[in-house]
Amino acid sequence: MNSGIDGTRIQELKPIKKGFLYEIKRHRVLYLMSVPAVILLLMFSYIPFAGVWMAFTEFNVVDGIFGSPFVGLTNFEYFFSEHSMGWQVTYNTLVINFYTIILGTVVPVAIAVLLNEIRSMTFKKLTQSMMFFPYFISWVVVGAIVYGVFSTDVGVANKVLQFFGFEPIRWYSEPQYWKPIIILASVWKFSGYSSIVYMAAMSNFDQSLYESAKVDGASKLQQIFYLTIPMLKPTIVVLTLLSVGRIFYGDFGMIYGIVGDNPVLSGEVSVIDTYVYQSMRTLGFSYSTAVGLMQSVMGLILVTAANYFAKKINDGEGLF
Amino acid sequence: MKLKSSLGDRWVVVFAYCFIAIFALICLYPFLLTISVSFSSESAIARNGYALLPQLPTLDTYRYIFVNSGASILRSYGVTFFITTVGTAGALLITSMLAFAISIKKLRYRNVLAFISNFTIIFSAGLIPWYMVSVNYYGLKNTIWAMILPAMLNVWNMFLMRTYFSAISPSLYEAAEIDGANYFKIFWSIAMPLSKTPLLTVGLMYALAYWNDWWHALIFVNKKDLFPLQYYLYNILSNVNAISSGRIPSGASGSITLPAETVKMAVTIITIGPIMFLYPFIQRYFVQGIMAGAVKE
Repeated sequence: MNSGIDGTRIQELKPIKKGFLYEIKRHRVLYLMSVPAVILLLMFSYIPFAGVWMAFTEFNVVDGIFGSPFVGLTNFEYFFSEHSMGWQVTYNTLVINFYTIILGTVVPVAIAVLLNEIRSMTFKKLTQSMMFFPYFISWVVVGAIVYGVFSTDVGVANKVLQFFGFEPIRWYSEPQYWKPIIILASVWKFSGYSSIVYMAAMSNFDQSLYESAKVDGASKLQQIFYLTIPMLKPTIVVLTLLSVGRIFYGDFGMIYGIVGDNPVLSGEVSVIDTYVYQSMRTLGFSYSTAVGLMQSVMGLILVTAANYFAKKINDGEGLF
Repeated sequence: MKLKSSLGDRWVVVFAYCFIAIFALICLYPFLLTISVSFSSESAIARNGYALLPQLPTLDTYRYIFVNSGASILRSYGVTFFITTVGTAGALLITSMLAFAISIKKLRYRNVLAFISNFTIIFSAGLIPWYMVSVNYYGLKNTIWAMILPAMLNVWNMFLMRTYFSAISPSLYEAAEIDGANYFKIFWSIAMPLSKTPLLTVGLMYALAYWNDWWHALIFVNKKDLFPLQYYLYNILSNVNAISSGRIPSGASGSITLPAETVKMAVTIITIGPIMFLYPFIQRYFVQGIMAGAVKE
């Protein structure tokens, strides 16, 4: 009620000029409602940008962020030198994400397509609930489950190996197994979730296409490969682009929840994100800020590129 | 020809049933295993390893946990409960207020608001500067707010909420505007009541994220009193990890009491218990949320 009265009064005084302040005043209730969210964005997303300066200094607590000596690109050079784990963690991040993207697309699409062939509603509902459940648990709980499967003495994996006459494996001291284990854990956790996205897309498909395909004598396999999958392609492309845009980001919770900071395995599974956290404690704030900054910049470039391609493919509709 | 294709079709259906059944069982199996171990007797587990059916079924493990660490588990439950309820309530209010503002087409700077939200998804300063300001300027180290505030605005959830608000016809607001209601009143008594399902959906998404969060505790909290449930479990498991990787010399590991297999699994069950219990009721809201997000794309 106030805005109405005030608004008209100002309009009478200044009938033409409708500047910034006029708009703020006129819709001040709406802007005030945005304030708490904007404060959170400032606090946790924008103000931290000032700290990026640390990447170019040799930070010490006494001199603070802006008083510490400037060292140019030294921190970045160290990342690419042979003394650091820079290349190793970048490689780990890319490999884990690459396979997660491939399997994390193929398995959910297969689930969605095959669920579509199932007529029994009870079976469908039940299995869908079972497949969706891993999405609801934390990576720590996934870590407990992975432990249950791979622990040396009591784990299920070794029981199975022994049953078939193989020697048990000390999984937690053999790094080479852990990239696949982590990739599979991720596929296990998210496939049910992702399949829902594909089923949402499939529910919008034109059913008459399937009717006419059936009239023409197309088999179910032909319908899947010539109708369903081509029609799912835009969704697959968009979701893949979204993941490719984030290929330099590892899942900190996943790695730490499953492996923790186990030094025997960390060379094989450390990703850029866990490396940043670990080097904060061992190699200092400046270096780890520099690593994080490089990751963000690569991420920005890739997401922008991904968005550009998505727009090209998707009739001008970007990723966000 | 006709016969052959229908035979092939039948194989597709059989394959579909098998594939889905096997994958669904792979998803469920670990939970059944965990439950079973938590009700098994420790000596049987040590002898035979994990098995799908409880071996020498007993409640001893749960009794043991509540006698020995009942107080700390209850405190962790309290911390998690506080974080989840306060965090979710605050996040819902803050998120839907911004989403509502952005959904109003008459708001001239709504694109600016949308952009400053969106930008934080695609570019960030990274972990260390974020940590520095949170600890040095906001004083979040070892406070319960460290596990609440940083997660209070999820931009994806905000845009999901905006999608729902945008679907409400503006004519409903205009009538109220003429009657002299301000936008907060319109938001509170028209937009919110019309969005009960989306609010429940987004609220449950926030609640799940808060319930499952342990990362903020790992980064900010080292006071045992403030450990949320998930971080309590993380600590139990990482002690186990350290010993089974041989990192802690065998001499030293003697002095550390290794939590028994059954204890680990029982704590896991205690951690996910409420989710398991609520899952049948909340599942469909998550499905709706994912569908709404997917349609937007």
